[in-house]
Amino acid sequence: MQTALKTTSIKQKTNQALGVNLEDARISKSYLAVAFIAVLLGGLLGLVQGLNRAGVLTLPAWANYYQVLTAHGLLLVVVFSAFFTIGYFYAGLSHTLGGLLPKVRKIAWVGFWTKIVGFVLVVIPVLMNEASVMYTFYPPMAAHPMFYFGLVLIVLGVWALSVGAFMQVAHWRKNHKGQHLPIMAFFATGVFILLVGATAFVAVEVLFLIIPWVLGWTDGINVMLSRTLFWAFGHTAVNIWYLTAVSAWYVVIPKIIGGHRWSDLLTRMVVIPLVIMNITGGFHHQIVDPAISEGIKYMHVFMSLAIGFPSLMTAYALFRVFERTARQKGGTGFIGWFKKMPWGDVRFLSPFIAMVAFIPAGAGGIVQSTNQLDQVVHNTMWIVGHFHLTLGMSVVMTFFGISYWLIPYLSKRVLTPNMNKVGVVQTIIWTVGMVIMAISMHIAGLFGSPRRTSFTTYGDFAEQLGWNPLMAAVGIGATLLLIAVILQVYAVFNMMFFAPKGETEFPIAEEEPGAAKTPYWTERWGVWVVLMLLVISMAYVIPIVDMIVNAPPGSPPFKTW
Amino acid sequence: MGQFIAGLLLLLALMIPPVATLMESVMIIHMHMQMPMLIIAGFFMGRFFLDRFPQFFKKYNQNGLPGILLFTIIMVYWMLPRTMDEALTVQTVEAFKFISLPFLAGVPLRDSWKKLNKVGRNNLITLFAVMFIGFGWLYIQSNAQLCNNYLVIDQIILGWGFITMAICLVIYLAYSLLVDPSQYE
Ligand code: HEM
Ligand SMILES: [Cu+2]
Repeated sequence: MQTALKTTSIKQKTNQALGVNLEDARISKSYLAVAFIAVLLGGLLGLVQGLNRAGVLTLPAWANYYQVLTAHGLLLVVVFSAFFTIGYFYAGLSHTLGGLLPKVRKIAWVGFWTKIVGFVLVVIPVLMNEASVMYTFYPPMAAHPMFYFGLVLIVLGVWALSVGAFMQVAHWRKNHKGQHLPIMAFFATGVFILLVGATAFVAVEVLFLIIPWVLGWTDGINVMLSRTLFWAFGHTAVNIWYLTAVSAWYVVIPKIIGGHRWSDLLTRMVVIPLVIMNITGGFHHQIVDPAISEGIKYMHVFMSLAIGFPSLMTAYALFRVFERTARQKGGTGFIGWFKKMPWGDVRFLSPFIAMVAFIPAGAGGIVQSTNQLDQVVHNTMWIVGHFHLTLGMSVVMTFFGISYWLIPYLSKRVLTPNMNKVGVVQTIIWTVGMVIMAISMHIAGLFGSPRRTSFTTYGDFAEQLGWNPLMAAVGIGATLLLIAVILQVYAVFNMMFFAPKGETEFPIAEEEPGAAKTPYWTERWGVWVVLMLLVISMAYVIPIVDMIVNAPPGSPPFKTW
Repeated sequence: MGQFIAGLLLLLALMIPPVATLMESVMIIHMHMQMPMLIIAGFFMGRFFLDRFPQFFKKYNQNGLPGILLFTIIMVYWMLPRTMDEALTVQTVEAFKFISLPFLAGVPLRDSWKKLNKVGRNNLITLFAVMFIGFGWLYIQSNAQLCNNYLVIDQIILGWGFITMAICLVIYLAYSLLVDPSQYE
């Protein structure tokens, strides 16, 4: 026991002296490698979809559009985002909390392999065209049972990683009584709490509703209940990826531009309400669903807009940091300070564009939260345009920007000026591609072009033919995007294995000098979790009891493809 | 004074007839949202009364227990189906609701809560968790319509609302029993 204690403390010291702990780095690198392989495959399928919808590519007989779409959605919103988030936050925990505990490291590996095995189980039926249910897998569409077993394993993997993160945080707090959790670990705690909360809903859906039903133990499924459980998860998952990006905006970007973090209290007060109020936002994906009364939908508009408020605080805080830093560097005038920002640094440029993209993306989100407006855009290409702005730009470009320092940091290499140039070019191509694609998708959607529909001319119906130029633009955007994907993945693996050796810092900005001390109550995670549970039960009890007590007979499984 | 104004504004907002009608149209929102918000309004306004009449609270609510007793009685009174129903049909009962919850439950809660120690607080929470389970059971299993103004499905929803609240309270109790803050703070 004595020696064990000693070795850990020696390890902690070497960790601080030598930068990243190699064993911890291996964990994060594995997660990031999987994430970027998923980007490559997902991007390729995205191109296939884009070209199909542009009308220039007919899929071969052995693949159907919905199969491709299922894989694209899963690879990008389930695999890429989750693996990146975990790799990034585990690196952050290791860096700010003095190295991962040996048992946490073990848990991280168990979680990794559980997720991988789960993912393989999901992919097999998708490849066999037995699970073309898209990433939302709405019943009564039913996939091969193996698909759902895979999902269960993925959820178990997420839980393992969350437990690991909580153990790490609890251990640190025991040894640092009365101190505030470092801000990066604070974000990580919020993210892992939300991950557990979100996946709990989908676990109930899959374990108690879907699996008994696809195995034939029950004859019918409660479709509305499944959709409601799914969106408690789906909505929160996406918000978790967003919160991950936000953590880099608050903590990392100020350091990269040579400034300070603004108000620590405000930052924590963005995380806490997002944790408490997030899950119930799932209802805004069901504005057009039946079986939820209008009064309830109306009340949920408030919940959705309440989540928007912390985003406004974020926008304010970040632009304040930018302006301050640039003025300190001699920028003057109303706009002049803008010139002082490090535009040539991909670690700044990419996440900056990501933030700007969130302005139209957020505005679109408010449109979709409004009942009457959502009736116009629901299930059209508008929605696809919207989430390629939120995810494909705000989240993904932040993640890409992170990769240019995180991967060299983990692999003890450096970001060379040449690789930085590759990054800048990649960022520009991605931006142009995504802007073209997202704008055309939004417009096509306003004219009624449906999402999740492979190319068709609707019997050369004139109105529908009018969509084609817009969809051709989608194809052009998709082509540019794939070029950017290839550059990005090349950069990632180059920085991981071939870039020149050296030390790279994990950039974490200091607080502004003379900042007020953050009150200790921000650390009461137990209270935040109970409040979160209270909000969830208040929001869900009416519709869910209603859906169960007044349920129709239930639907048998369908294979629609 | 700021807190008093905030509480008063909340109370007034809840009293606006369309707001009151909307909230009272759904049984669970009537009981689990309007009523707690009335208590919160009183809780905020309490600051003013505590500053203004410290002697009164010192004399009659020395150790906090009388205040908690009053709070509990008012709470239990408003958890009965009969009283909710009456609030919707009899004007004076409705008026009593808007007075009793803020001033006879919210204000004493504020004074008493800080006078209770940790054990006292957790006992109160335990009491309410047990009551919520009881009321939840009452509302869920009753096949008869308990209120003239609400349907059976509203009752069942309310019952599950009680149960989920109770679960949250139990989780909080488990957290405060198992996690010793002095290890961290
Ligand atoms: C290489 C760049 C990308 C291209 C060319 C692309 C293109 C497309 C296209 C054309 C669709 C199909 C629209 C439909 O028929 O409904 C689609 C759907 C989707 N994309 Fe992308 N996308 C790209 C990147 C991303 C990224 C980075 C993400 C998220 C992180 C993402 C998430 C999604 C999701 C969730 C769907 C919806 C799937 C469904 O409806 O089931 N995409 N994408
Ligand atoms: Cu959402």
